[in-house]
Amino acid sequence: MQLRRQPLPAPRPGDARPAAQRLAGPLLLLLALQGAAASGGPEDSGWLQDAEPSSRLLSQAARAALHFFNFRAASPSALQVLANVLDGRAWEDEKRLGKCSAQVFFRNEKPRPAVNVTCSQLMKKERRQEEDYHLYKLMKQLESPLNAVSIPDSHGYIAPSLRPIWDLAFLGSSYVMWQKTTPFLHYYMSQISSVKQWKTNDDAIDFDYTVLLHEFSTQEIIPCHIHLVWYPSKPLKVKYHCQERQTPEEASGTEDGSAMALTELSNF
Amino acid sequence: CDRTIFSVNRHQVFRINVRNGDEISKLNRLVNSDNLKLNLWKSSPALGHPADVLVPSVSLQEVKSFLEDHGLEYSVAVEDLQTVLDTEEQQMQHNVHQELSSNCFNYGAYHTLEAIHKEMDNIVKYYPRLASTVTIGHSFENRSMYVLKFSTGKGRWRPAIWLNAGIHAREWISPATAIWTARKIACDYGKDSVITSILKKMDIFVLPVANPDGYVYTHTHNRLWRKTRSVNPGSTCIGTDPNRNWNSSFGGVGSVADPCSEVYHGPHPHSEVEVKSVADFIKKHGNFKCFIDLHSYSQMVLYPYGYTATRAQDADELDMVAKNTARALATLSGTQYRVGSIFSVIYASSGSTIDWAYDNGIKYAFSFELRDTGDYGFALPASQIIPTAQETWLGLKTIMEHVRDNI
Repeated sequence: MQLRRQPLPAPRPGDARPAAQRLAGPLLLLLALQGAAASGGPEDSGWLQDAEPSSRLLSQAARAALHFFNFRAASPSALQVLANVLDGRAWEDEKRLGKCSAQVFFRNEKPRPAVNVTCSQLMKKERRQEEDYHLYKLMKQLESPLNAVSIPDSHGYIAPSLRPIWDLAFLGSSYVMWQKTTPFLHYYMSQISSVKQWKTNDDAIDFDYTVLLHEFSTQEIIPCHIHLVWYPSKPLKVKYHCQERQTPEEASGTEDGSAMALTELSNF
Repeated sequence: CDRTIFSVNRHQVFRINVRNGDEISKLNRLVNSDNLKLNLWKSSPALGHPADVLVPSVSLQEVKSFLEDHGLEYSVAVEDLQTVLDTEEQQMQHNVHQELSSNCFNYGAYHTLEAIHKEMDNIVKYYPRLASTVTIGHSFENRSMYVLKFSTGKGRWRPAIWLNAGIHAREWISPATAIWTARKIACDYGKDSVITSILKKMDIFVLPVANPDGYVYTHTHNRLWRKTRSVNPGSTCIGTDPNRNWNSSFGGVGSVADPCSEVYHGPHPHSEVEVKSVADFIKKHGNFKCFIDLHSYSQMVLYPYGYTATRAQDADELDMVAKNTARALATLSGTQYRVGSIFSVIYASSGSTIDWAYDNGIKYAFSFELRDTGDYGFALPASQIIPTAQETWLGLKTIMEHVRDNI
């Protein structure tokens, strides 16, 4: 006969956020990043080992910093992934990783944290520009992938010819994910669910697509319609509109006052 | 295909490097010339990307001369296409023969529910003295809740370990890891001293797909479906989160009453037949010592509680085991897992499997969040299945060894 353990009393609503997490100032982080292509195999992600509630917040803030960094770099050939959220002592081992220090500030627990991030040891600017330009030329030659759905496919596979599409989509999604991150909500890009438009007849790549974001704490999948314009070494122009299930207002935004109009909002 | 009509004897594939625009246009000229009958195998030549060109045997000499005269860098990628095709054909026949004769299940690929259940039957067929299957119930859409039981001893209620997988439909790496693990248990019994000693003392039950309706739905309709597929009266939204439906602080923080939510707890505890089947089986058995639940993604080894920040009574011991588990897992490829209680490491969640197990006397209750940490997330490439399963196995053995030594 097994002992039935007395379950602990259920906490009151609001207990889910430990007091320590009320944010007065910016979160300071040390991150180790690595190139997305390089991390295609086993995950080398080391994390703060202490199971403190604040480590959860730190990893969320780190992700926001990563999204912001990738968006600002506007370099689909040099997308970074999080290898480590470090404390100062762990730096010496991470020779092949880019090292960054980031300040992430959530004002009044609202989305779109202010991020200050500086990195060293990442790909040199000239090399990054070369790679971007090469990627740009490949994209220009790509046949319009309008019939491409689900990147990656169900089995996690991205055809090599579609890889540039993924990289560019990820860049646009980084902007959206940074914009939407709060101390309680953080995002990952799950899948490109459709490509609406891929135009390269002007100089820039004009890319209109739908992406499925995964919000971790609610476990919701959020479809976002993103329209971006990219040219190597220029800042990224992004417009987006996400279909929120929870909030009645639709979340949308633009950056850099793009000249391209976002069409088909009503069909979304 | 009649081999005599279509023969590529001594046809070769040349790999030609193009280093600038001038070389690209020369190559295009070569390929487009009528008399040589060349074929581009990959996409058009582009900077930094070599072009593969199929050259019929009659044109070999001319093409070589052209390339050399124009200083184009090339190598012969395929010396004789016919040989390659023959080998490929042989391979394919061999694979088909293998599959038909021994039902070779590719553990490095994702499979349908039917294929997984069929492979479970195969494991029993090949290891009949160790393995058997048990149907513990049926899902909402009447699919079987199919469990593999590994037992070396007599007696129906030996101390036992429960390995749960696939409770969240979209977490495909979970059933994939579970079926690999089942095969590993069967294969290594009698050869590996650790698993042999564990099985000497305890039974192991493996449920690779705890949410069969959801899993099928991710194959047929929506790859990112999470919940069950039960109907919610009065709502157009389908399904309950089966990992919020257990009777442990049911309805508390981290679960919601909205049927449209991904973390909807359901109308009452164990309302989901998939949950009830497992809970009833375990309660009836009465002698489970360990419950492990496989999820993805985040790379974590978690222990109770999810419904409160308050530490579980055995938190110190569970934390030590979890840390050892993560350490063992990392020895294979360096994959790092975080460790802690569900509440502190991931988020508040009420009505979860391991909280229920723990509060019902199963002390060694652990939840894994398998690979990765978000780069691919749920759509983890199939190429990572076996590496994930292999490293996870080291972690699972750590837990099982500790259970063996402490019951």
